[in-house]
Amino acid sequence: MSTTTPTGPPVASTPARAGGRLGRNTQRLNEIGLIGAIVVLFVVLAATAPGFLTVTNQLAILRDAATVGVVAWAMTLVIVAGEIDISIGPAVAFSSVLLAKASGEWQVPFALAVLLCLAVGLLLGAGAGFLRARWGIPSFVATLGLWSGLRGLAQYMTDGLPVPLEPNGFLDVLAGSIAGIPTPAIIMAVLFGVFLFVANRTAYGRSVFAVGGNAEAARLAGISVARIRVILFATTGLLAAVSGLLLAARLGSGNGGASVGLEFDVIAAVVIGGTSLAGGKGSLLGTLLGVAFITFIGNGLVLLGVNAFFQDVVRGVIIVGAVLINVLLSHRKGAP
Amino acid sequence: MSNTDVVAEVRAGTKRYPGVTALSDVDFTVRRGEVRALLGKNGAGKSTLIKVLSGAEHLDSGEAFVRGRPLAGLGTRDVAGLGVATVYQELSLVPDMTVAENLFLGAWPRSRGAIDLRRMRAEAREAMARIGVHLDVDSPVDSLGSAGQQLVEIARAVGQRPALLILDEPTSSLAAAEVRQVIDAVRHVAEQGVAVIYVSHRMDEIRQVADTATVVRDGRIVETLPVGTASTQEIVTMMLGTAPDALAPRARRPSAERPVLSARGLVSEKLHGLDLDVRPGEILGIAGVLGSGRTEALRALVGLDRPDAGEIRLRGEAVRPGAFAAMLRRGLGITPENRRRQGIVPLLGVDENIVISDLRRVSRSGVLDRRAVRRAAQTLIDRLAIKTARPGTPIGTLSGGNQQKAVLARWLHAGSDVLLLDEPTRGVDVEAKRQIYHQMRELADDGRAVVFVSSEVEELADICDRIVVLRGGRAVAELSGDEIELNRVLALAIAEE
Ligand SMILES: Nc1ncnc2c1ncn2[C@@H]1O[C@H](COP(=O)(O)OP(=O)(O)OP(=O)(O)O)[C@@H](O)[C@H]1O
Ligand SMILES: [Mg+2]
Repeated sequence: MSTTTPTGPPVASTPARAGGRLGRNTQRLNEIGLIGAIVVLFVVLAATAPGFLTVTNQLAILRDAATVGVVAWAMTLVIVAGEIDISIGPAVAFSSVLLAKASGEWQVPFALAVLLCLAVGLLLGAGAGFLRARWGIPSFVATLGLWSGLRGLAQYMTDGLPVPLEPNGFLDVLAGSIAGIPTPAIIMAVLFGVFLFVANRTAYGRSVFAVGGNAEAARLAGISVARIRVILFATTGLLAAVSGLLLAARLGSGNGGASVGLEFDVIAAVVIGGTSLAGGKGSLLGTLLGVAFITFIGNGLVLLGVNAFFQDVVRGVIIVGAVLINVLLSHRKGAP
Repeated sequence: MSNTDVVAEVRAGTKRYPGVTALSDVDFTVRRGEVRALLGKNGAGKSTLIKVLSGAEHLDSGEAFVRGRPLAGLGTRDVAGLGVATVYQELSLVPDMTVAENLFLGAWPRSRGAIDLRRMRAEAREAMARIGVHLDVDSPVDSLGSAGQQLVEIARAVGQRPALLILDEPTSSLAAAEVRQVIDAVRHVAEQGVAVIYVSHRMDEIRQVADTATVVRDGRIVETLPVGTASTQEIVTMMLGTAPDALAPRARRPSAERPVLSARGLVSEKLHGLDLDVRPGEILGIAGVLGSGRTEALRALVGLDRPDAGEIRLRGEAVRPGAFAAMLRRGLGITPENRRRQGIVPLLGVDENIVISDLRRVSRSGVLDRRAVRRAAQTLIDRLAIKTARPGTPIGTLSGGNQQKAVLARWLHAGSDVLLLDEPTRGVDVEAKRQIYHQMRELADDGRAVVFVSSEVEELADICDRIVVLRGGRAVAELSGDEIELNRVLALAIAEE
């Protein structure tokens, strides 16, 4: 084997695989394992769950995936940066309520109401990010505040009852399909492309990895760690608001009690995808697979007619199992 | 000597990492009471050999033994149980715990199930005294600075009463006085029959501490020889594989230009009225003992800490103290003394770790230009001769000295005008040191200002145009041009009062 001599030329001749990035290699392994698991899951469900393979059900799966996926991309970056956002479920519900209230009772023009929802989501997220960045309040606590506050506010504003939405063309499109594909799935796919690009190809994305990998070093190198943190949470806030619009369109109402526990599906998808809660490493491709995995399980359990309460038990076991396998795999092959 | 004396042994050991062979067919033995130095360039494989002997890594082929037990399949805990105590190159303390707690990490003395604080503190004091150090055992190690932390690590290892004591660059962050303490402590334990493996890049220190030296080059053992009989020149030649170039003649030219950065009356916890002028076109050395305020001075100058009082001027204008981001934008750069905690982002590639200091330079409207990143990184990798399998290799897997060079490369990439370098040659081999000196000299010739903090007075005396000696947080002496002489600097740096 050749080693580089200090003054020698770059080792372009080193076989690309051999010199591979350690982080990426274990990541790959993860992803291959996950793809395997998803294929097995798919085959098992196809064989045992009645109606699993029908087009209607597959489209329903896509739609469900979007519920988790739209936010999961942003959550991946948050977790890569070593942070966490647990306010997703309430933020989504709140946004749907805000849309219904604003466009109905408050008589705000519909387009403005939509913008209002997005802006409020962004600002709330940025607020949590600011608490983290400026005052060092742990992001778990800052977003716990939102989690509690937004759920309460949404229920309070609606007395716990759904607020009907006046149907309109925009909502129909959001709830419907474009060229046969559910609109939320299309939005999810587009956002995936955007985030994939942002994470790997932009200065911001790489700075996120640097902050997660070693915040002190990133700061000394001149990266504005605080700015990055604010943007991260503003992004999850914004995408939770987008999810809220999709939810409102789907239900035809603003619903303060909706999306309970969504934050944990999102976090689970990210973690199953191999992103480390300790920060510094992770991939959107992994999260994509994590989202697929979670959605298949949810769908399969319903089709198999498992008791609704017991579904949660099964899900809990499977999620922990999947992460355990991930961790074991990366320890075996992995890091020093 | 009989075979029962052999404490640790490696036979035909080979260890590969992706893209490099860190050890290749290595045979190595060390005996009771022997202090063995390991010498070699950055990335030669010294730390890898050590990790194999401490159970942190396992050989791909060949065998390793400690006191006759094969290490295959054993973890670090098992190997520690065999009597191996290791101080790794990178510090491994829990920053928020006290010195005493760290000394007994995981093995705290207990009575009736609870930690026996009184006994722990007493034993901690004793362990520190054994290596001749007197630190407050109740202070959090975080507050100690690198040198203090290093001493705690050494005390911890020595305190385990090992059969084999392994020290990977234990003195790289220490100044002369503390180095003396470490050397004495090592000699002391060796006399009691402990085998010691000692890695260092400082030849003078090797001569004082070691009986024999093993020279490693590109993962192979070149030779093992008694330290007393070989000349430094010979040993360095073995390490490099070629005769070293003579050190470039120093052009001692203290700059007469107006200071680009100046401080007046800085006061903070560790600074007590510091005045300092940094001029373009010169290398300004900062000397002083542990706790004299060298790191604090740099941190205050660059705006990382906000002093309680005093004034800082950049290009004649008063700047708001503590405005770190603004100082970077205005052309300052700093390399921190603690590489692992403050310098590198371990999982990112060498390339990204270099360009991180100025991403704008390699991107267009926020989007990174991969080719520009590669080009910028490759240029600096070549210029500083950073040994890495590929530019994208995670920097955490590089040898310590090479990581250090990459951190320096970061500020060359940013094109900073004023570079504050805190122990930039820490853990760097002879050849690499010269490369770094050379870079510093080029920067100064180019009209930039270089501030060079080092615990090695020898290197300050060798390359600086001007040297300021700090003591108790103040500048107490200044030497410039031909006044700079090793003995004078040494005397000033270690003088008490
Ligand atoms: N975990 C790892 N993964 C990949 N490569 C590694 C790893 N650890 C070490 N290496 C490589 O093995 C080689 C030997 O490294 P090692 O740390 O033993 O050098 P060293 O002699 O201790 O150098 P230094 O004086 O800089 O500390 C280097 O090329 C290094 O990049
Ligand atoms: Mg080393």
